[in-house]
Amino acid sequence: MTVLTRGGETGRKRPSRPAARSYPERVELLERGRELGALQAAVVAAASGTGSVVAVTGDAGVGKSVLTAAAVADAAVRVLWSGCDPLSTPRPLGPFRDVAADLGLGDLTQDVGQLAEVCEQIYAALRDTPTVLVVEDLHWADAASVEVLRFLARRVETIPLALLVTTRDHEVGAAHPARGFLGDVARLESCERLPLPTLSREAVTTLVGETSLDPGRVHVLTGGNPFFVTEIAKQPDRPLPVSVRDAVLARIADISAADVETLHLVAAAPERIDDRLLPALGVDLPTLQRLDATGLLAPAGGGVGFRHELARLAVESTIPPGGAAPLHRRLLDAHEEVGIRDPAVLTHHAVGAGDAGRAVTYATAAGEQAMKAGSHTDAAAFFETALHHLDGSEDDLVRAELQQKLGFEQYLSSRLPEAIGNIEATFPLWSAAGDFTGLASAHDSVAVLEYYNGRRQEAESHADRAADVATEAGARRIYAGSRVTRAYLAAQRNEFDVALAACADAAEVAEATGDAALAVRAGMFDAIVKLAQGDVEQRTAVSKAIATARERGLDELASTGFSNLVYHDVEHRRLRDASQVLELALPFAAERDIPICSHWQTGVRSRLHLLRGRWDAALEDAEVVLNQRGMPLGTMWPFLVSSLVPLRRGVEPTVDEPLEAAWRLAESLDEPVRRLPLLAALAEHGWMTGEVDERVSGLAVDELTRLGDTAGAGWALGDLAAWVQRLGLAFQRPSELAEPYRLSLDGKHAEAAQWWHDAGDPFAEALALGDATDPELRIRGVELLDGLGATATADRRRVDMRADGIDGVPARPRESTRANPGGLTNRQLEVARLMARGLTNAEISAQLFISPKTTDHHVSAVLTKLGVSSRRDVMLQSEELALT
Amino acid sequence: MTRFIIEREIEGASSLTPEQLADIARTSNQAVDSLGVPYTWVNSYVAGDKIYCVHETDDAETIREHARRGGFPANVVSEVANEFGPHTAELKSA
Repeated sequence: MTVLTRGGETGRKRPSRPAARSYPERVELLERGRELGALQAAVVAAASGTGSVVAVTGDAGVGKSVLTAAAVADAAVRVLWSGCDPLSTPRPLGPFRDVAADLGLGDLTQDVGQLAEVCEQIYAALRDTPTVLVVEDLHWADAASVEVLRFLARRVETIPLALLVTTRDHEVGAAHPARGFLGDVARLESCERLPLPTLSREAVTTLVGETSLDPGRVHVLTGGNPFFVTEIAKQPDRPLPVSVRDAVLARIADISAADVETLHLVAAAPERIDDRLLPALGVDLPTLQRLDATGLLAPAGGGVGFRHELARLAVESTIPPGGAAPLHRRLLDAHEEVGIRDPAVLTHHAVGAGDAGRAVTYATAAGEQAMKAGSHTDAAAFFETALHHLDGSEDDLVRAELQQKLGFEQYLSSRLPEAIGNIEATFPLWSAAGDFTGLASAHDSVAVLEYYNGRRQEAESHADRAADVATEAGARRIYAGSRVTRAYLAAQRNEFDVALAACADAAEVAEATGDAALAVRAGMFDAIVKLAQGDVEQRTAVSKAIATARERGLDELASTGFSNLVYHDVEHRRLRDASQVLELALPFAAERDIPICSHWQTGVRSRLHLLRGRWDAALEDAEVVLNQRGMPLGTMWPFLVSSLVPLRRGVEPTVDEPLEAAWRLAESLDEPVRRLPLLAALAEHGWMTGEVDERVSGLAVDELTRLGDTAGAGWALGDLAAWVQRLGLAFQRPSELAEPYRLSLDGKHAEAAQWWHDAGDPFAEALALGDATDPELRIRGVELLDGLGATATADRRRVDMRADGIDGVPARPRESTRANPGGLTNRQLEVARLMARGLTNAEISAQLFISPKTTDHHVSAVLTKLGVSSRRDVMLQSEELALT
Repeated sequence: MTRFIIEREIEGASSLTPEQLADIARTSNQAVDSLGVPYTWVNSYVAGDKIYCVHETDDAETIREHARRGGFPANVVSEVANEFGPHTAELKSA
């Protein structure tokens, strides 16, 4: 029965003000003058075109909904009301589906492509008409909705939207998806947090003053909680209840058992019971009218529900043991009978009813819906629920497929170890079902994940197993896919010949089977391997492969292409190219919802910033990577950055023993070439402190010999050799040596310094100058180091220079005289780049979705930190200021 | 019991097939039965993009409750003040 249902699948449409069927009078707001004013100001601002976000926070019962309703009651603009439900796992995009019709959007469950598109659609729908959008109960929000809210919050200044969110902030812990949104509210200028305090004794006196209740006692008992106080005030002649629960239950003390059961039914429904279910549930009008009289119920968006969650919880607590399951079953059956099929809601009831079969069906559907909406954490939770309810009688393949989906969602929500565990658990299932193609594919997936997890040995053995199983099963494509994985692993160890041979294998199979996707993949990795060896021409081939992958919708492959391209650009010191690639890569990964690639690429950007002397931005990125769950593989350079920047500045690192953490990672990666930068960092530490780690005097020197002719290792070898030389240790010069390092080791320091200058690496330039014997060059080196803020390194050079009897060694500059180009944050760098391109403040505002006021703020900061007085200077000096 | 005329705005109402009308009728009947109060659905007329319904019950709120339960819009609910037809002509006092 679909023709006449209103408002889509769940028919939910909240009224512009929650009004009970029998809610007596408008609630009088006490002690909320300031908060009411703040909310009304936001509404007025939206009406005149300036958007803002207000997060109303406080405990249950403190009056968040009532306040918000009062603030928007006489709003001159349209008000859209939505909210989140207390489901065991939330509905993806729940609140936005409530208002989709009002925004002129289609049914978000069917049409949702990628989350990024949904964000854009919602943003576009809010851009033209002044709107108040209320989103209640953020603490029950799903991850995708939080992403949309964050998207809106970052751009809210530029649209006429008053986004009012209510939440119980104590329930939003560190791991809660809504945490990010609250963090944004704290940081962003156009967002405000409005905590609601409890009522004072005076307010309580006003509420109960005319009764025989003792205000003092009531205030102590209720803690000033408005809901509780109001409950008590409504029944002044009863003895004081002990708790909110008692107060609520007192209201139902005199109703019939049948009516209590109906109340239980309403309590078992998260949020409310849709009106259309009432016939199927056998709840007649007289019953509703009697229950209305208790004052506990209120109409709620196309249905019947408790007027407050606290009331629902109180009534729910009186459901006798074993009584909940039949209620859920009635609700589940009614939903099915009437044809309302929101999988998230149905899952909730099927689980509550203990109906394993339907729980599996609906949880699987809910998981897929969440997947499409981009709520990967919720999708994983739904798949876990489905798995939990399998009873062992079903096909192995059903379990295997569910676990595979779960593993994939866990990988995407950055829970690598669990993802690996789940996919590994499918191995015996594929075998038992005789599906060897599935088994090979699963091994291949685990190979890649184990590598991201930093465990090379496991990765290699899974890749080999995938190839073996695929060969036996005659699954040529999976075989070829596993060969590409093998190629990737080999290339990471600089085993280029093995890698190229494996790629050729895969390309052959791709051609023979006509598998276009495989052909793109094999071609891409072939080009990447050659690029790693130093063939610059291959950049074009890699870029082409990325473009082809994008065209074919192979998002993860395209993003991987970006990741590899930018990694090698940075390694080979093509720093400006790397910058440009990242400007494409990061938005792409964000748009396509591939956080694990964003994670990796942010780590690469951290290293890029380090090399370009933008050390604050480098630390910013390093912190993001280290604090997010993601792939351990991507943490190497963030650890190094977290160690080297403080070292060079002469301050304590904020990360605990970063080099040792990186060391442990390098051990399990077993990639000797990747360990070289660590040894270089240890050497740098030794040079600065005078305490040389034995890994430097022993292993580092040995590795220079052992790996000296490894193709593609010229940069890492060069950097280590330079430090070993500064320490005065004897070593064998590697035959593989990148150009600037070769120049330095040949004693051509000025030329080396010029090379680094042209490449845009000021620290390396300064070190090359400092290595020279010519005093003028050495002085210039110290000046450069001071300019970078590398105080400790500069001081170290000063020690040497004084010991060598050099006159005119520049003293340490005073703090205030120093400009600090290296101190620009990522955001300020964005603004600076746009300034360098000649954009006006208005144009910068438009491009970055920030207000003119915020732009002015950033522009000032940029001018100060760069030590220039006008934007024209920024344009003219953009090259020297390392903005390109 | 009072009689009411209800106007329901439904785009494409005139294109509803007999099967669809049967479905709607079933839903409406179920909604009526679920109310637990005296209620009669007398008849309905589909015209243009609207459905006009004649119902009998005690008050307009019950009409709206029926509409909610059936998932129907109830854009206008009017109490019938009087009903008359060709036969009414004979009642004119001589």
